[in-house]
Amino acid sequence: MKGVAPILATVTLLATVPLITSSNVVLNFLVMALLIALVGQGWNLLGGYGGQYSFGHAAFFGTGAYVTAVLQMQYGVNAWMGFVIGIAAGAVVGALTGAVSFRSGLKGSYFALITLAFAEVLRIIASVTPITGAGVGTLIKLDLRPEAFQFQSRVPFYWIILAMVGISMILMRLIEDSRFGAYLVAVRENEDAARALGVDATRVKLGAMTISAAIAAAGGCFYAQYFLFIDAGIAYGPWISIEALLAPIIGGIGTVFGPLLGALVVKTLGELAKLMTGGAPGLDLVIYGGVLIVVVAFAPRGIAGIVSDMRRRFYRTPPPGENGRG
Amino acid sequence: MSRQSLNVSRRRFLQSTALGAAAAAGVLQAPAVLRAQGAAVKVGVLHPVSGALSYSGQQGRIGAQLAIEEINAAGGIKSMGGAKIEAVLGDAQSTPDGGNAEVEKMNGAGVAAIVGGYASGICLAASQTAARYDLPYIVDVGVVDSIVSRGLKNTFRFGPGFGVIAKTALDNLVTINDQANKAAKTVMIVHEDSAFGAGLAKLLNTQLPERGFQVLETIPHPTPTRDFNNVVLKIKAQNPDLVIPANYYNEYVLLARTMQQQRVRPKGIYSVLGGAASSYKFVKEFPEAAQYIMDCNHWFDPKNPKALALKKKIEDKGEFYTYEVYMNYSCILLLADAIERAASADRAKIIAALENSTFTGHMMPYGPTKFVNGQNQGAAPVNTQVIGNDIQVIFPAAVASAKPVFPMPPV
Repeated sequence: MKGVAPILATVTLLATVPLITSSNVVLNFLVMALLIALVGQGWNLLGGYGGQYSFGHAAFFGTGAYVTAVLQMQYGVNAWMGFVIGIAAGAVVGALTGAVSFRSGLKGSYFALITLAFAEVLRIIASVTPITGAGVGTLIKLDLRPEAFQFQSRVPFYWIILAMVGISMILMRLIEDSRFGAYLVAVRENEDAARALGVDATRVKLGAMTISAAIAAAGGCFYAQYFLFIDAGIAYGPWISIEALLAPIIGGIGTVFGPLLGALVVKTLGELAKLMTGGAPGLDLVIYGGVLIVVVAFAPRGIAGIVSDMRRRFYRTPPPGENGRG
Repeated sequence: MSRQSLNVSRRRFLQSTALGAAAAAGVLQAPAVLRAQGAAVKVGVLHPVSGALSYSGQQGRIGAQLAIEEINAAGGIKSMGGAKIEAVLGDAQSTPDGGNAEVEKMNGAGVAAIVGGYASGICLAASQTAARYDLPYIVDVGVVDSIVSRGLKNTFRFGPGFGVIAKTALDNLVTINDQANKAAKTVMIVHEDSAFGAGLAKLLNTQLPERGFQVLETIPHPTPTRDFNNVVLKIKAQNPDLVIPANYYNEYVLLARTMQQQRVRPKGIYSVLGGAASSYKFVKEFPEAAQYIMDCNHWFDPKNPKALALKKKIEDKGEFYTYEVYMNYSCILLLADAIERAASADRAKIIAALENSTFTGHMMPYGPTKFVNGQNQGAAPVNTQVIGNDIQVIFPAAVASAKPVFPMPPV
C-alpha cells in the first residue's frame, strides 16, 4: 500500500475542518469543491491514466443523479439503496457507451465527440420523458433524517463527500500499482505498441470507463441528495463535463492528487475573483477565465507538474517513480 | 504523458474555458466584516445577474434596490426606530447551486430575509437552503407550483403560480377566440426545456384539447438557444393558427424575429409568461416583430398611480419597466411591511407577520393579499397585447386599456 499514507493524511486534515470552523459558507464551498474533485477523479482515470478524453462525463453524473432521485420519488426506494443503484446504473451507462465507442475504434477527438453526444442525447431524453419529470425536473422530498440521506447540518454531507474522494484516491493509487493500471498507461502512451505486446486494449479501456463512470455517478447521486432538485440541464448539462476535466487538467492530469488540487484551486480562484470584483456582475468570470488561461499556458502539467518540477530542481535528479506518471 | 497529447488537451481546454467560466460557481467568502451602523435590517437580494438569465436578474435587482432606497429615504422601518434596510446582494449565476451558495453567504451575513431567485430552479434550491435556517424567503417570480407546495414554512410567493396563470390564460384565450368566431383551431407550442417552459407545455397539452384546440406539435429548446430557423421552418410547415411560445427573454425575441424574417404569420401569437411579449425593451427595439403579440403574464395595474409613478422613475433612469422590476419592488415592500409589523428582525416573527399579511401597497392588479401555504391567493396574471408602440392590457376588463386585436390584421 505504498503511497496511501499521504492520501490518508490529506483526508484526515480536511476532515478536521468542521471542528475548526462552523461556517456553512466554508463547508458548502468545500462540499462543492470535493464534489468536483470526485467527478474529476472519475474523469482522471479514463482521461489522465487512459488517455481517453471524455467530454461527456455528465452522462454518468446525470444518470447517477436521476436514478437515485427517480427511485426515491417514483418507487419509494430508500435513499441509501438508491445511492448504490445510482452508482451501478452509472457504471452500466459507462460500460455501454464504452462498448459502443471503443468497439467502433473511436479515438481522440472522435471519442471526445461521441461522449459529448451521449451526454446531450441523455439530456434531451431526460428533458422530455415523464419519469424524470421532463423539463420540470425531479424534486426529492425534504426529509431531514439520516436514514433518508438528508441531514440538518452540512457537516455529515461534508464528511461523506470527503470519504468518497478519499476512497476514489486510494482506488486510483491501487490502480496505479496494479497490472490493470500498467496496461492502461501503456494504452495511453501507445495503443498499437500495447496491443502488439498482448494487451487487450479495448477491454482495458472499457474497464477504465466503467470505473470512471461509476465514480462520476457517485458524484451525481451525492448532488441529488445535497440539493434535492435536479433537472435535465443540471444532471446532463455540459457544466459538469467541463468541471470534471478542468479539475484534473489544472491540478495535474494522470496523478492521484491532481483532481483534488485542481478542484480546490479552481473553486478558490473563482471565489477570489468574485470577491475582487464586488458588484460588477460577470466580471469575476472574465477574470477567472483569464487566470485559467494563464495557468494552463505556463503550467501545462498542472499544479502537480509544478511541484514535481520543483522537486526535480531541488534534487537535481528525477525522484524515482515519477516517470511516466506526469 | 507525451508532448503531443498534452497539446491537444491544452487546446481543448482553452476552447472549453469560456464555457467553463460560465458554468463555474465558486462559493467561499470571508464573513462580512463590515458592521452595519446602528441596527440596520439586512435583507438578501438574490438574482441571477450573470449567466443565461442575467438580463432578467439585473432588472429584478434594479427593482429591489430602488424599493430599498425609497424605504430608507422615507425613514426606514418606523417600528424599529427608523432602522434602515441594508441590501446584501447575491448573484445566483443562473444556476440552482449558485443560488444555494449565495443563500449560505447571506445566512452567514445575518440577513433577516431573502427576496428573489427569479427562475423556478433557483427558487426551489435557494428557498430550501433558506428553510434550513428558518430564514424567510420571498419568491419574486418563480412560477412552478412545487415551490409553495413542499410544505416549507419559510417560503412565500407574492405573484401567481403556474396553475392560476395557465387557467387564466386559457380562459382568456377561449374568450378572445370566441369573440373572433373561433378563428383559431390549431396550435403549436414552443417552449424552453427547464422547469418553467416544460411545466407549462405539459399543462397546455392536457388543457388545450379539452377546450377545443388541436395541438399540432410541441417543440422544446434549451436556454440559451441562439438559432430558431429550424423551429420556425417547422412552424411554417405545420402552419398552425396559433403559436404559443413559453421561454425567457432572449429566446422569445429571437423566435419572434425569426418568424418575422421568414414571413411566418399565424393568426395570432399568444404566449403564456412570454419572456419578451410584455417587455417594453422588445417593443421598442423590434416593434414590427412584436406587433399584436398577446401575452398572459405578470403585469402592473395601469390604473394604479403608484405603478405609473414607478414606471416613470424607472424610465427616467434609462431602464425598461419590465415585470421583474415591479415584482421585486413589490416583494421588498411586502417584506418591509412584514418587518414593520413584526417590529423585529427576528426570522420567526417575520415569517409570522408574512403569514398574516394583508399588504396592499403593491403595483399589480391582485385581489386581497392572503397567504395560504405561502402562496398569495390574490395573485393573478393579466393579458396584454402589443398594439402600436405600446403594451395594452386587454384582460381583465376592470383594468383593460384596449380591446384585443385578433386575428392579426394582414400586413
